[in-house]
Amino acid sequence: MKAPRRDIKRIIGFFCTGGLLAVGLHLLIGFGLKRVNASDAGAFNRAMSGRVNAQVIVCGSSRAYRHYDPRIIHAVTGKTAFNLARNGSHTDVQMAVLQAYLRHNAKPELVVENLDMHSFTLTPQDEIYAPVQYVPYLNEPQLFQALLQINPRVWKWKYIPLYGYVVEDVNLGWMYGLAALAGVHPREDHFDGFCPMDKTWNGDFDRFKAMHPDGVGFGVPSNGVRVLEELIQTCQSNQIPILLVYSPQYCEMLDLVTNRAVVFAKFRDIADHYGVPFWDYSQSQYCSNRDLFYNSQHLNARGAEAFSRDLANRLLSLPQAPASRQARLALTQTR
Amino acid sequence: MLFNSLQFAVFFPLVAALCFAVPHRMRTPLLLAASCFFYMAFIPVYILILFVTIGIDYVAGIYIEKSGGAARKALLVMSIVSTCAVLFVFKYFNFFTGGFIGLANLAGWRLPSVGAHIILPIGLSFHTFQSLSYVIEVYMRRQKAETNLVTYATYVMFFPQLVAGPIERPQNLIHQFKEEHPFDYDRITSGLKRMAWGFFKKLVVADRLSLYVTDVYAAPSNFNGLQLSIATVFFAYQIYCDFSGYSDIAIGAARVLGFRLIENFDTPYRSRSISEFWHRWHISLSTWFRDYVYYPLGGNRVPLARWVLNIMVTFAISGLWHGANWTYVVWGLLNGFYLLAGRAGAGFRDRVFGAGGLDKNGPFRAGISVLTTFFLVCIGWVVFRARNVGDAAYVLTHFFRNWNIHNISTDHFELRQMPVALMSLLVLEVAQVAARKLSLADMVARVPLIPRWAGYFALVFLVILFGVFRKTQFIYFQF
Repeated sequence: MKAPRRDIKRIIGFFCTGGLLAVGLHLLIGFGLKRVNASDAGAFNRAMSGRVNAQVIVCGSSRAYRHYDPRIIHAVTGKTAFNLARNGSHTDVQMAVLQAYLRHNAKPELVVENLDMHSFTLTPQDEIYAPVQYVPYLNEPQLFQALLQINPRVWKWKYIPLYGYVVEDVNLGWMYGLAALAGVHPREDHFDGFCPMDKTWNGDFDRFKAMHPDGVGFGVPSNGVRVLEELIQTCQSNQIPILLVYSPQYCEMLDLVTNRAVVFAKFRDIADHYGVPFWDYSQSQYCSNRDLFYNSQHLNARGAEAFSRDLANRLLSLPQAPASRQARLALTQTR
Repeated sequence: MLFNSLQFAVFFPLVAALCFAVPHRMRTPLLLAASCFFYMAFIPVYILILFVTIGIDYVAGIYIEKSGGAARKALLVMSIVSTCAVLFVFKYFNFFTGGFIGLANLAGWRLPSVGAHIILPIGLSFHTFQSLSYVIEVYMRRQKAETNLVTYATYVMFFPQLVAGPIERPQNLIHQFKEEHPFDYDRITSGLKRMAWGFFKKLVVADRLSLYVTDVYAAPSNFNGLQLSIATVFFAYQIYCDFSGYSDIAIGAARVLGFRLIENFDTPYRSRSISEFWHRWHISLSTWFRDYVYYPLGGNRVPLARWVLNIMVTFAISGLWHGANWTYVVWGLLNGFYLLAGRAGAGFRDRVFGAGGLDKNGPFRAGISVLTTFFLVCIGWVVFRARNVGDAAYVLTHFFRNWNIHNISTDHFELRQMPVALMSLLVLEVAQVAARKLSLADMVARVPLIPRWAGYFALVFLVILFGVFRKTQFIYFQF
């Protein structure tokens, strides 16, 4: 029996060593990802480590991510701005990110929540976009709880070594973490969280239109409405003014939406109920100009510049909220 | 339960540990219970189908052995028909009724659709064929009927090869359930290494390539000729690594438990002809069709026309075995045609190569033959992978059109994944060549412990970090 016992110990020893190495590698990747100082991860790291402290914060999904240029907002209004939008996110994730942001940064003077047709749709269980970005920050209670509600398997991301980096992501996002440890960072293509897309109109919409000749409808489920309301309440309970904006969308796309009136009526209802301004750019001059878009949902860099300038000028007309002491301090430090 | 799941990572060590801990007489019942649990992780109720098949063939085997003459044959036919009926209902019902209704509509009869929403039980074709091979072998008196129901049920349900083979023969597997398999460090570590290699093939190669293939074959008309070509070559490697990876994991897992399963693949893309390819690809299925379909039809000891018919019938059934779709039938027939054309053109090829001064066994001719065979196989894979015959025709006619080197990525396969995909293919090919030319196991065994373990960890973490762990089933599960 002696030989097998020794052999069993060797096998167990092998797997234990492997487990320890996996834990070490997991920690190393997380540490590296938090050190990335450029591109999307760099912007997110700034926000999560309390190095933003902007006066105007923009929240939303990919449309916000591509539409709001904080540099223009700052230049026009004199207020520092940061684009906190997360590509591919729904309102539930946006709220969790905003809460985590507020935990580490000075209270902003204004939160701009960009709306779209998906604003009332919660993130489907297996569709948390680019999950690797959240894994190093699962110690953030709000973020962890929000993601756990969307996908009950999120506990594995946190507690099983490497699971969050390799199982949920096929794009080898962990590589950025190891590269950052070696001092290699991605090319900087973001400006205070804003990521302009310097592209011209592509054929996506034509294919989409051909696939949906009878149009498409978007749900207004009560749980989705509740999440948007919670986001507004979160801001209001922190005495942060919030502004709802429906940024430009290519007009033919909106014409395809069969229940557009219902969705917009709900946006207005919510805005009225909470006394929040709602700026609707869905009928604006930009929406009929294809040259300003690269697809039906997203403005290109030129469109984003025009829209951001327009929005920034309108922001000047908003009643001035008293800047918090921390925000003023941050502004002074930035300058 | 998928091999590439967290459940299996817990299930397998637990079952292996229990197997070595319990007395010998308890091992087979334990393996049967584990196999039931393994299968029920998919759709629990479908285990009843397996029980029905097992019940029929267990009883049939015993009575076939006892009886003789016409009764013996009748029992065999009854067993085959009833086992195949299960396969027909779950796999081919919609295909055949749809075809029949289509023909009736052409004749002017208006028949209502009777399509039923049936989910195909995982691995149905595999365990059905394994069950069939048992009754046929008993009928042929090459195997004694198994009187122990637990042993027979474990033969059909043995979890490492339950859902995607290798399709075992009773002579190879049943007696192993009666033998003792003591704890053997070398055998266990050898099995674990084989499993690791299977995981590399499945997770790093097959599932990475599948990201590209799935995008392109979902809508081929959205992609240029270069992308169609890349997707087709990628699919050739995807299906090979997916299926042979599964076989490696199955063989490795069985080896850990003390069982020897038959080899299923022998570097098929090194074949110099289609005939050789079918001796190296899915060997357990090829030999099954050879022994139970092709030989009973007369094999090649018949007049030429009948031989041609035998080949085409065997390949058509083989195609249909893979799926209830015309693309699979066309794929099977295409391979039958390749085989016949290869035999018919052998003399011509020899003359052409001879005129060029190329030695029959020389490396240049071998290289040309390997590449030609691979090309022909890829044409077949287009038909196999396409959603329908129209898509297959589109891909085949657009391979060489509109190549654009600057546009090779797809929605789910970013350009940065390409080096990883190509590097994994290189590792695969180098390792396969090395395994053929060198005695890797002996070489590795001579390396001191620390560098050896470092090498093992490097392979394990290579699989973990570069693998794709989406919940993708193995391609052959659907068959």
